[in-house]
Amino acid sequence: MGSSVDKISLDEKYSFTAKAKRNIIILISVGLILSVIGALMVKSGIGVEHHGHATEVKSEKNNSAEGNVEQKVAESEESQKQSEEKIEMANASKAEGKEQHADHGHGHGPAVWVKRIIKNLWHNNVFFLGIAIIGVFFVAFNYVAQAGWGTLIKRIPEAFGYYLPVGAILTIILILIGGHTLFHWMDSSLYDKTSPHYDEILDSKTWWLNIPFFWARTIVFLAAWIGLWALLRKFSVQEDIEGGDKFFHKSNYWSATFLVVFGLSSSMLAWDWVMSMDPHFFSTMFGWYVFASWFVSGLATITLVIILLKEAGYLKMVNENHLHDMGKFMFAFSIFWTYIWFEQFLLIYYSNIPEEAFWFIERMRNWTYKPLWFTTFWLNFFFPFLALMTRESKRQSMILKIVACVIIFGHWLDFYVMITPPVLHNDGGLDFNWFFLELGIVMIFIGIFAYAILTGLSKAGLIPKKHPMIEESIYHHVY
Amino acid sequence: MEKGKNFILGVFDDEDILLEGVHKVRKAGVNIHEVYTPFPVHGLDTALGYKYSNLPVASFIYGMIGTISALSTMIWMLGFDWPMDIGGKGHIPLPDFIPITFEFTVLLAAHGMVLTFFIVSNLWPWNYKPKMFDPRSTDDKFVMAIDLAKNTNIKIEELEKILKDSGAVEVNKKDMN
Amino acid sequence: MQVTSPVRPPLVTGGKKAADVTNDICKQVEGKPTKVWLVAMGISLITLAFGAYCLGTLWWEGLGLWGLNKTIGWSWDITNFVWWVGIGHAGTLISAILLLFRQKWRTSINRAAEAMTIFAVLCAATFILAHMGRPWLAHWALPLPNTYGSLWVNFNSALVWDVFAISTYLTVSIVFWYVGLIPDFATIRERATGVRRVIYGMLSFGWTGKAKDWSRFEAVSLVLAGLSTPLVLSVHTIVSMDFATSIIPGWHTTIFPPYFVAGAIFSGFAMVQTLMLITRVVYKLEDYITLEHIESMNKIILLTGSIVGIAYITEFFIAAYSGAPYEKFTFINRAFGPYWWAYAAMMSCNVISPQFFWFKKLRRNLVLSFILSIVVNIGMWFERFVIICTSLNRDFLPSSWAMFYPTFYDIGVYMFTFGFFFTCFLLFAKYFPVINMAEVKTIIKSSSGNKESH
Repeated sequence: MGSSVDKISLDEKYSFTAKAKRNIIILISVGLILSVIGALMVKSGIGVEHHGHATEVKSEKNNSAEGNVEQKVAESEESQKQSEEKIEMANASKAEGKEQHADHGHGHGPAVWVKRIIKNLWHNNVFFLGIAIIGVFFVAFNYVAQAGWGTLIKRIPEAFGYYLPVGAILTIILILIGGHTLFHWMDSSLYDKTSPHYDEILDSKTWWLNIPFFWARTIVFLAAWIGLWALLRKFSVQEDIEGGDKFFHKSNYWSATFLVVFGLSSSMLAWDWVMSMDPHFFSTMFGWYVFASWFVSGLATITLVIILLKEAGYLKMVNENHLHDMGKFMFAFSIFWTYIWFEQFLLIYYSNIPEEAFWFIERMRNWTYKPLWFTTFWLNFFFPFLALMTRESKRQSMILKIVACVIIFGHWLDFYVMITPPVLHNDGGLDFNWFFLELGIVMIFIGIFAYAILTGLSKAGLIPKKHPMIEESIYHHVY
Repeated sequence: MEKGKNFILGVFDDEDILLEGVHKVRKAGVNIHEVYTPFPVHGLDTALGYKYSNLPVASFIYGMIGTISALSTMIWMLGFDWPMDIGGKGHIPLPDFIPITFEFTVLLAAHGMVLTFFIVSNLWPWNYKPKMFDPRSTDDKFVMAIDLAKNTNIKIEELEKILKDSGAVEVNKKDMN
Repeated sequence: MQVTSPVRPPLVTGGKKAADVTNDICKQVEGKPTKVWLVAMGISLITLAFGAYCLGTLWWEGLGLWGLNKTIGWSWDITNFVWWVGIGHAGTLISAILLLFRQKWRTSINRAAEAMTIFAVLCAATFILAHMGRPWLAHWALPLPNTYGSLWVNFNSALVWDVFAISTYLTVSIVFWYVGLIPDFATIRERATGVRRVIYGMLSFGWTGKAKDWSRFEAVSLVLAGLSTPLVLSVHTIVSMDFATSIIPGWHTTIFPPYFVAGAIFSGFAMVQTLMLITRVVYKLEDYITLEHIESMNKIILLTGSIVGIAYITEFFIAAYSGAPYEKFTFINRAFGPYWWAYAAMMSCNVISPQFFWFKKLRRNLVLSFILSIVVNIGMWFERFVIICTSLNRDFLPSSWAMFYPTFYDIGVYMFTFGFFFTCFLLFAKYFPVINMAEVKTIIKSSSGNKESH
């Protein structure tokens, strides 16, 4: 290493203090208390929005109500046409999703408050697990692309991997406990030809949607993620001690392997974990849609952690040039997400084939989710697009911090809208209990996530000091 | 180069030395007319005290004009001038208008900005015979031009010395008549 | 201060200095046409003339000369259109996306790649005009005021989106390319005399290399790159929507936009690879287009090829998973129906052949790179043919099932575009600087391996 670097220490180390640990534990405890209160409130029906008196009230009822209101309000020719079309689409969706809804409507399965807890846990689990794996993905593609600028901050996404084992265990527990609540297709009566719930379409899917194969995919891919991350982490830590180019080339090789595994597994797990919650729905784009959402949230989380660490006095060599690049990433991939989101919507909207369109009708035409659905679009596209457009805003840690938080929340909401309707139907909208149940469970997850990655950060130096591209990163300058 | 007629040229052959040279020359209180380089030297504009270009802002404005005009034109044409309901999507199917709106935004933003660039930098085919201080500045040399009329307080010999000390490999006089 | 890590191999070899860059590139523009060039030009012009005859006959006699039928109403023309548009993605991708990602190796190849892009998009446009039958009425694709009421074009149609996308892409690409050429024309101007000096002077727009102009130039390049990145994605997205907005099984699938974009980058890079491998030998540019460049290109070919592969698998999977009988039938028909050979060609050329590039030795093998770059483009042609023909040939009514057989004029119009493409490219390679001199000079100090200059 050149003498010019000596002025600032490369041996920076993060210490996970008792105070920080205590704060995180307080956060988790408060989250627990809030979610217990929330759960009790939902159970006794306090603070819950009533979208009709029972779950049998399906989206089409809401739709026609909405259509009527609109007809009264707006008398122009277009809006009439539109509402007619809405009803048409809703009817089409009824035909498609009949069996599925009917089954849930009969009050099978656990009570709403249990479903809501399980759904919340699953939603957050998928979201945070995604952020964690994006950390590894970030490290891997930086190796493969031979990107030097990010070397200084490499340890942060790398530490995200420490959440992977935790997330994997949570995933397994959740599928064990709540599988039948979350995944309608796990209901064995659907495949019984004599049962009134018999579903011909789902019966034709059993080659993929069957419980043993589902478990196998989940476990094999999670194990592959954890194994490859552990390997990359091992090389990175060893490099600190031994130095040389050897680990760089090894990491490069295994990063490429990871990218292949991730390319396949991220899509398949998105089909399994999210798309199969609506087992009749299919969209070839879905895997990449989930990936895009994960990726933006992961980038925002990396940025946020960098800024928070800098504010705590760490990472002195990381300057506005590195932040600028993170800002560019968030900007670009917010647009990428919008592209994927819009393309998927446009093609399904344009063709209006009932077997696909019902997925959007459930979310866009139903007033339970409609506000949330459109909010995600504003938060995830317009806000980052306008806020990060100029060069200067990408170099201000204050602006980046706000944008990162908004993006993380926006994509959390995006997953919310993906995951909630199939489990909770009309009971999943925005209500007063969000301040208890939803907030509480998010706090628990944030706490666990922070605890895991901070533990990871404290286990090795904050800067990969013997990485062959470290000097490029120190003198990185964005013009 | 319209204002003055007599110039002193410092010729550099390395971009890093040039950058340091610009700092030194400016520190010595010399007014630099302009620096001519064969390729963009990062940081030279800030070293010379130029502000970051406003062209991106112009581009944004052109783009916004594109967005608004494309959207409103389509809404007017298919929604009002000759209302058409195609595919049961109503008269104004906004999602269908997004692709063209996007393309038109980019069209105006890109062409508008490039035209503005040509105008402000006075780049046109009819300027085919520009006055060059030193033709080598399109090859591998960096030429710093100092207008004598603007540096009357410093003697020529002193200027030459400052340039030499700042790393210029050659110092020439040039009469731009 | 720019620091370059020692693990990075040099991007310009042979100890070149800035003056050497000027000499090596300008030499080609200033010299007399070589015999190789004249022969190549001759062949291109003959092909062009033959193709022009076919195109002219087509317009004179009508579209009945093509092998289209009632079932397959869209075949070679649209296949070739999509194929050329796809090829026309690499240039803007290299200069825009790789610029944003700061991949410095792009500097040696972006100029030629952009030129290729423009010619490829023009070739693609030929097929639209050819299929119009009456190209002199082409302006009615735009919303022009008329005496019918005014009756406007249908903005809901993916074909109208295409008109806007392709024309925006073509003009923006030309401008992006030309702005980059201006400083290099100035370099040639300063070396030239007489009429050449006037011509290159006009082409250079009177560029002098002021720091102020460079500052603006950089801002313009960056914003153009930022605009071109979504633009280049949008173009093939919209091309894919020509199919995906329909409800034909095999066409209507949501992954089409990003998958078409990946395929376009894939075939575009393959075409750049083909052309650069020839150019570097003919023009002796081995020091500028090094094995590193070729390896980087091969890596991108591998990456995009694998993305395309994943998309094929996804499509197949979802067709099986959907439970929709029509979807299933279409995909089985694709792989095992009468066009199985096209499907097999597509799979082996696009998915299997790039996998050789997992091995560093093979990535750096010039002969293999050249062969595979051509194989990939053959595969990508078949991909479009498979998507288009196998989704149409067996429609919902078995009595109307049909096959497509290309006629002499199908082939002839395709030949026309080849003639046009190579004529343009050869003219470009002779009279324009094939490598972006100004950009290569910016990296020569940090990436040329002449460490003594520090």
